[in-house]
Order: sequence, then C-alpha cells, then structure tokens
Amino acid sequence: MAEVVLENICKTYGNNFHAIDQLNLSVEDGEFLILVGPSGCGKSTALRMIAGLEDITSGSLRIGGVDVVDMPPKDRDIAMVFQSYALYPHMTVSENIAFSMRLAGKPKAERKKRVDEIAKTLQLTSLLDSKPANLSGGQRQRVAMGRAMVREPAAFLMDEPLSNLDAKLRVQMRAEITSLQKQLGVTTIYVTHDQIEAMTMGDRVAVLKGGVLQQVDTPKRLYESPVNAFVAGFIGSPSMNLFEATMTGAELMSGAFAIRLQDAAFVRRPGLKSYAGRKVVFGIRPEDLYDSSLESGRKYQTIPAKVTSIEELGSEHIVHLNIDAVRVDSGDPDAVQDFGLTSNAVARFEPDSAVRSGSAIRLALDDTKLHFFDPETHLAI
Amino acid sequence: MRKRNSGKDRLITVALHVALAAGLFFAAFPIYWMLSSSFKSNTEIFALPPTILPKAFTLEAYAAILGDPVKLRFFFNSYFLAGTVTVLTVLIALLAAYGFSRFNFRGKGSLNTLIISTQTIPPITLLIPFFGLVVSYGIFDTYVALILTYLVFTLPYAILLMTGYLNTLPRDLDEAVAVDGGTSWTALWRVIVPISLPGIVATSVYTFLLCWNEFLFALTLTKSTSMRTVPIGIQLLMGQHAFEWNQMMAMSVLGSLPLLVIYLVAQRYFLAGMTAGSVK
Repeated sequence: MAEVVLENICKTYGNNFHAIDQLNLSVEDGEFLILVGPSGCGKSTALRMIAGLEDITSGSLRIGGVDVVDMPPKDRDIAMVFQSYALYPHMTVSENIAFSMRLAGKPKAERKKRVDEIAKTLQLTSLLDSKPANLSGGQRQRVAMGRAMVREPAAFLMDEPLSNLDAKLRVQMRAEITSLQKQLGVTTIYVTHDQIEAMTMGDRVAVLKGGVLQQVDTPKRLYESPVNAFVAGFIGSPSMNLFEATMTGAELMSGAFAIRLQDAAFVRRPGLKSYAGRKVVFGIRPEDLYDSSLESGRKYQTIPAKVTSIEELGSEHIVHLNIDAVRVDSGDPDAVQDFGLTSNAVARFEPDSAVRSGSAIRLALDDTKLHFFDPETHLAI
Repeated sequence: MRKRNSGKDRLITVALHVALAAGLFFAAFPIYWMLSSSFKSNTEIFALPPTILPKAFTLEAYAAILGDPVKLRFFFNSYFLAGTVTVLTVLIALLAAYGFSRFNFRGKGSLNTLIISTQTIPPITLLIPFFGLVVSYGIFDTYVALILTYLVFTLPYAILLMTGYLNTLPRDLDEAVAVDGGTSWTALWRVIVPISLPGIVATSVYTFLLCWNEFLFALTLTKSTSMRTVPIGIQLLMGQHAFEWNQMMAMSVLGSLPLLVIYLVAQRYFLAGMTAGSVK
C-alpha cells in the first residue's frame, strides 16, 4: 500500500500533440481516486503512464515514495485491470490468477493457497478449472480482479473495467468493487468516462479535459462547487443547464424573462457584483427546476418554458424544455445527448407532474442553487 | 408462366451441373490415373486400349520403392529438409513477426515493403547466383545448401502470414504480462505462442508444402543420388532405356500422402478460434 504522486506529468506525441499537460495529482494511501472525463481527454493515457505501459515525456511519478519513471511495469508494484480484461485464453481461471506468482517463482503450495483465498473472496472457487471462454462477462471481470489482487500490489489501476458489462451487472459490480477496495484498503486509481461510476465509487474524483486536470475533489464538492462550466456540465446526469444572461442590478435578464437574485447570492460570490451590466453564464441543475403547478414548485419564482418532450421513468420525469435563452456549451461532447436538438433545457420533475409535451408552462427554479461562470473563461464566479 | 420458368430454371441447373462435372473430371482424373496406374504392372500400363481399372491389381511398384534403400533415402531427404526448414521458418518468422507486430523501430515500413517485394522475384532468376554462392561457400551437394536457399523463399511469406496473425491478437495480453511481471520474451513464449497455433499451423503447412514440392533448386544444388529428394527421385525413374511408370506413380502417391495427412490434422486448427474468451 502506498501513495501515488504525479508531478508535472506531460505526455507529448511525435506530432506535438499534448495528450497530458502538466498533470499534478496526489493519491493518498488507501484512497479510491477516479479519473474521469469525456473520451480522448487523456485519462487512459494517464493511467497507462502510471502503469508504465506508456512513456512519460516529462515530470515525476512516485509510487510509495519511489521514483518509478524509468521502471518497467513489473517493477512498479502495481496491478492493472484492463477494459478488455485481457485474460490469458489458454489458461484456466486458477492459472490466470496465479500467473504473476509463477513468474515471480513462488512455490506451488503458496500459489494454490493464495489463489484459493482470492477465489473465495470473489466467489470463483467453482470456476477455477474453467477457461475464460466458458465464463460470463461478470465472471471474467472477477477473474481480472483476482489477477490484480493476487499480487497484493501497492496500487490497483483500473481502466474502465465495467464498460463491457450490461447495465444491470454494471450496477452490481460497481458496488462489489467499491466494497472490495474498502476491504483491501489498497490505493486505487480508476478510469471511467461514466460520471455515475465517478460519483458513486470514488473517495475523490479528478476531472480531465483535453489532457488538462480541471478539478480534483470529493464527489459532493464537485457536484456542489464545480470550478468551471465544463465540470459543472460533465458531473451530474442529466447535465447542468447553462445559459447566457445579462446582469442588470440584481436580476438576470434573458429574452422574455428575468430571474431575481437574492442578496445571499452576492454575499457568497463577491465577484458577481463586477458583472453588473455585463454578460454572465448561469447554470442550474435539472433537479433544481420544478413544476410550478406542484406543491414542491410553489415557493419559487417562475419563468416561461415550452415542453418539447417527456421521458417518464417512473420515479421521475425527465422533461425537455425550451426557454428563451442562449444555451452555453460546457465543452462536454456528450451533453448534446441530454439536450437533443429541439430543446435547450432539461428538468427532473416529480412523477405526479401532469405537464404535457408541447404545452407552455411556468418553470419554477430554486435561485439559491444557481451557479455562475465567466462567459469568456468559463471559470466559476 | 410459372411452369415454363421452372423448366428454364431446371435447364440452367442441369447445364451448371454438367459444367461442374466436367471441371471435376478435369481436376480429379490425373489423381485417379496416378492411383490406378500405381497398382498396375508396367506391362499393363502400356496396354492398348488403356485399362481404366487395374486388370491385375498388384503392389509390385510399392514393393519396389519401399524395398529399395536408395529410394527410401529420397523420402528421408524430403522429410528431413521440409521438416528442418519448417521448424526454422516458423521460429524465425515468429520472432520477426512479433517484432513487426508489437514494436516500433526505425525503417519498419521500408523493411516491410522490402519483404513483400521479394515475393515478386521469380525464383528461377536467382538460380544461377545461388549456384555460384553455394559453390563458393563449399556447401554444394549438402543439406545446408538446400536449407539456406529454401529459407530465403519461405521466410518472407511466412513473416507476412505470422505478422498478420499476431496483429489480430489483442495487445492488452502483452501488457497484462508486463504488469504481471513478465518481459516481452515471457509474453511471446508463455502467452502469444500458445494462442498462435492457428497461425503457426498455417505457416508450417505452407512452408512444408513449398519444400516438399520443390524441384528446381533440389535438382541444381545437389548431385549425388543420396542427396536427392522425392520430386527428383520420381524424375530419376525415367531412365534412358526404361520408363518405370508404375513406380513413378507409386512414388507420387507415397509423396502425396504426408501432405494429405498434414491437411487432415491441421484442419481443426484453422477452424478453432483460439483467443475466444480473452477479451470481452
């Protein structure tokens, strides 16, 4: 067990493409850190650099206090779970798990004892003599976990280990991996593009975009205080609604509506005053928008909106809306999926909401939950 | 309307079958003739009109070949050469292909092009230069001469074949070995080779066939009877005064047998997906 420290890590390819730019990250001993970001953000590259499968162009990397930049993967005391699992197809489950011990020259009795222990933890005992081809996706995933656990490494590196599983199994394995990590207490760096995995599994989450670290924080703080519009849009599902508006006194003006801001908003963000008379980006999460005809929405101010479509999920309604404001692109390539082409806002209503597709409604919003960003830099105000 | 159509369809079907049967006859008759002649006596072979089935079935041609140490030596030579070249080719091609498939190095692209371009040179044009080289090395009329020249012809295609196969194996496997504490060498022998059997078998069969059937270089680079291979041996049965047709055919049958066996044994490897269960 050890801490993993990345200092000014850079990865530049031959064509001068910066896959990773000045990455500074400190993962504490026993911590579960999630690396998250849209595809191509460099999160897998970062993980592969920690594993030693990818050269580090510049910077320093220490695992358990030892500088490992020039070490091959086998000397770094790490174990990795691959997205594809990469099980050895010609070996049985037990041989797969014991392979690293065999390479290390551990005696047979010790190997067997360790494999049995791990198989018990992962409920693989009855499958030890099977070949990977005869296992289900979830079982293969557990074998891959076992192969990593057998080495008792200083750190686990996991590269989207759940992305090949179906949705139901993914939820189950999410919980299993989290509890296993807590039980073993091994420092874990986990790469995913799925922000639900990021929010539910990690002690802390590092958000990457274009090879640049945006924010590292606990899931709760990332959700509540994103440092910029990208993190605001990326964390949370459906994404935060981001719009451009003009600050006029204590009001946000956009098209046909105005949102009054309370004094508290300015007390919490002293910088907001300087935007008076200027454009500002404001954000509000779908769960902070309410159906004004329901009890929950009565206490808030309202703005006009037109419903374009509704997804009834049973426990809630995801309502796609159009409001008279210019939507701001957070830079998250997946956000378009949340908003679609015909709407510019999305809200989560309670299931007893009776709004209809195509109808004009009054949309209630909790103005204490507004987020503000600079329209140029997209940094939080 | 429908009836006329089906009549026309039937006519087309019949015509197609006749054409296919003619094609089949053209391909299969020589093999049948080889088999049937090998069981005839030499006098029956010269009978007019020729007999389609052996009138007097005899194994005398086979006995003559299998009882003659000189002719058995031809078989040994062919097996030994084809076997040695196959093993060497597979080993060298495997290492080269692993390099091409898994590593980046200077000149990789041009080296690949060079290997492909060697395939465009007809071997016969290299006969004279090889002859000169073999004589000046002092290895004329030896196994080494044939093994070296055969390797020159088998390796390029074998490397391409193996590289293509290794490229289909996920790199994650090599990386898993690296993380598990192994080197590239470990990955190659402990993981890549065991799951590359289909590629290795395909390469082996190709190489073995090429060596087994080779005539031109075997004829030119050897001289003594004890160094001759089966294809030369068959030709040697055409003497100045006598044509041992039945023995030539029997030797051809015996010469074809190993190839048939190899095909039957190797077949299942071509079909099996060796990497099933590795990823996803």
